[in-house]
Amino acid sequence: MAQVPVQTIHRDPQLFYWILFPITIVMILTGVLRHYATVLMASAPKKQDQKTTREQRSLLHGINVRGNYHVLSKPSLTTRRDALITAYESGAYLKNPDGRGQPPPNPMSDPSAMEGMMGMMKNQMAMIIPNTLIMSWINAFFSGYVIMKLPFPLTIKFKSMLQAGVATRDMDPRWMSSISWYFLCIFGLQSVFNFLLGSENAASQMAQQMNQMGPQGAGQMFGPGVDPNKQFLAEAENLAVIEHHSVLDGVEQRLLAGIKV
Amino acid sequence: MPSEQELQIQISPIVQESLVHNSRTLYNLQSITASLFGVSAGILGLESYAGFVFYVALSLLTSVLFYVLRVAPTSLASGKSPLDTSRYFRGAYDFWAGGLMNGFAGFVLTWTLFYGLVTA
Amino acid sequence: MAPPILNSPIQLSPAAALALSQQAPAFLRSSPSTVSSSPLGTLFSGPEKSEQWLQYENLIVSCLRTGDDQAAHQCLQRLVVRFGDDNERVQAIRGLVKEAEAQGNGALEEVLNEYNQILNENDANIPIAKRRVALLRSMGRLSDAASALVQLLDFSPTDAEAWSELSDIYLSQGLYPQAIYAMEEVLVLAPNAWNVCSPTKAPNLSPMLMHPSQIHARLGELQYMAATAPGVANGLYQKYMAEAVKRFSRSIELCDDYLRGYYDLKLVSKRLLNDGTKATRPTDDSEFALPDTKTIERLNELATAKLSEIVRRSAASDRGWRGYNEAEIAATRELLADDASAIKR
Repeated sequence: MAQVPVQTIHRDPQLFYWILFPITIVMILTGVLRHYATVLMASAPKKQDQKTTREQRSLLHGINVRGNYHVLSKPSLTTRRDALITAYESGAYLKNPDGRGQPPPNPMSDPSAMEGMMGMMKNQMAMIIPNTLIMSWINAFFSGYVIMKLPFPLTIKFKSMLQAGVATRDMDPRWMSSISWYFLCIFGLQSVFNFLLGSENAASQMAQQMNQMGPQGAGQMFGPGVDPNKQFLAEAENLAVIEHHSVLDGVEQRLLAGIKV
Repeated sequence: MPSEQELQIQISPIVQESLVHNSRTLYNLQSITASLFGVSAGILGLESYAGFVFYVALSLLTSVLFYVLRVAPTSLASGKSPLDTSRYFRGAYDFWAGGLMNGFAGFVLTWTLFYGLVTA
Repeated sequence: MAPPILNSPIQLSPAAALALSQQAPAFLRSSPSTVSSSPLGTLFSGPEKSEQWLQYENLIVSCLRTGDDQAAHQCLQRLVVRFGDDNERVQAIRGLVKEAEAQGNGALEEVLNEYNQILNENDANIPIAKRRVALLRSMGRLSDAASALVQLLDFSPTDAEAWSELSDIYLSQGLYPQAIYAMEEVLVLAPNAWNVCSPTKAPNLSPMLMHPSQIHARLGELQYMAATAPGVANGLYQKYMAEAVKRFSRSIELCDDYLRGYYDLKLVSKRLLNDGTKATRPTDDSEFALPDTKTIERLNELATAKLSEIVRRSAASDRGWRGYNEAEIAATRELLADDASAIKR
């Protein structure tokens, strides 16, 4: 196959100053702004009354006992387990013990549930709105410019993505238009934000996606539409099947075998 | 009775906070070095495979240096075999190859930017 | 290692606390007096760090300890500016400042009334509820404090701090089984933290802060105290001692140069050897049995060897062997000397 001559395109160096740098700077500033916007919009944790706290923490207590029973001796585990199971089964920790067995309220009608959803919506908005704004800004002002050449070759399939708005059939797909620089920025500015805002920033979308997975587990536990009574009963069952053993079993032997003075 | 492995974790528990701190430190190092590698690759004017090889080699070198300078002294002293990072990190894969994944986007960005600036 | 200002000031020695509070003016000068909450302001002044507020809190405690009330008030003022008057934690710190400045019991009563009022309005205000307990305790009303704590723990049973405080109160009342129960609860909630323990050293200042000592060792100490309390039946004695030995061993297993653990182990194994009681098999299979005499002897040897090493090395202040508490080293030396003289005789 004959060597394809390397395409060279003469570009105005002013392109850098008027397209590349503005896009990059705007992207970085939006990231910073988004970080602070999320910080500001984060609603303070809602005050809970005593009974709700009690219901949730009692359940957590049971989970803790189940998870860490190995630090206890058998008699102390048994007393705790019996007490917890009795209380769980009788519904002693429930917020309103009369409401047992009734179906949980519709999450849509519950104001506290709505608030949670609003919070999630706000976060989503903080992500989507700036992105769409910037994209339409770039499309309106900078479409049709070829600004840079990628340092690595790509297949022809990428052409439509990288050269959106540049209708030239024979151009090497390595040339990229302003919109594809925008996409590169979205993925690549992660580390810049890490550097600027500390690693727990809200600007980095990766972290946000992680976050959405994280608290959802916790949120779901006490979330709307979950019947606490059922949770308690399930936890009682979990506690009942614990087969006890302890880290203290044989600890002297382990110690004598393991520590050399 | 729990499995052998569970028992082992209960006897010598893993402190979650330290683990998170360690992996975050590693992650920060990886993303910052990746961006810097991108800058140097761009300035050197590396193209296609040369650039990727440059990146892979340097990030492996970073991992090795990190191991030798930060992990090895205490890890070897506590009786772990060489190249074993389990004293500070959970998975060996995350430690050695995680940097390639974490930093890749940053590398491509700065590589492209500086390549464009230098060769324009 | 975090700078000293970030650590809880309760564990500091008086001298260190004094040094810290003397830094207060410099610290107050170096940090901006108001933090604007507008995003533009934070852009220029750098991100606000959560440690900063922790530093203020710790500074307040140190300043109160050393009598620098003015600096404490300044710090408090900044916390109020940032978090508002109604923040639960700020309320608790303000209460702490008032408690420290109160002259005589009448003034303390007044503070207590304030706490009650706040709790009447919002009964889920945990920081204030804890301050109330601490105040009741420092006023000497132990049983009131205990019942208030039990009430708190009823609706918040996952609070390790409160459990450890409860354990300490029960201990000071001599109720060993209750104290052990509460300490076990701490262990269940924080099985890997080795820094939750009740601060017996500083009764007057925010007792809810933590003191570094391993919970296992602490629990073992409680068992030991329960075992050696007068009028304990032999079966119960053996049960407590057996668990104490195990707890101490575990605490050393978790942290292999933990002076206190070795000291405790030495103490308990020596006592068991001196007793010379035969280990009877417990009637119930579920309880812990005392190890046989040979194991106890070996544990005793191990503890003696390690203790003398620690004493020797820390006296020579070798690298990596500093940082042990002076008083603990002295006590260890005494224990070892006691042991040696017993052998000579």
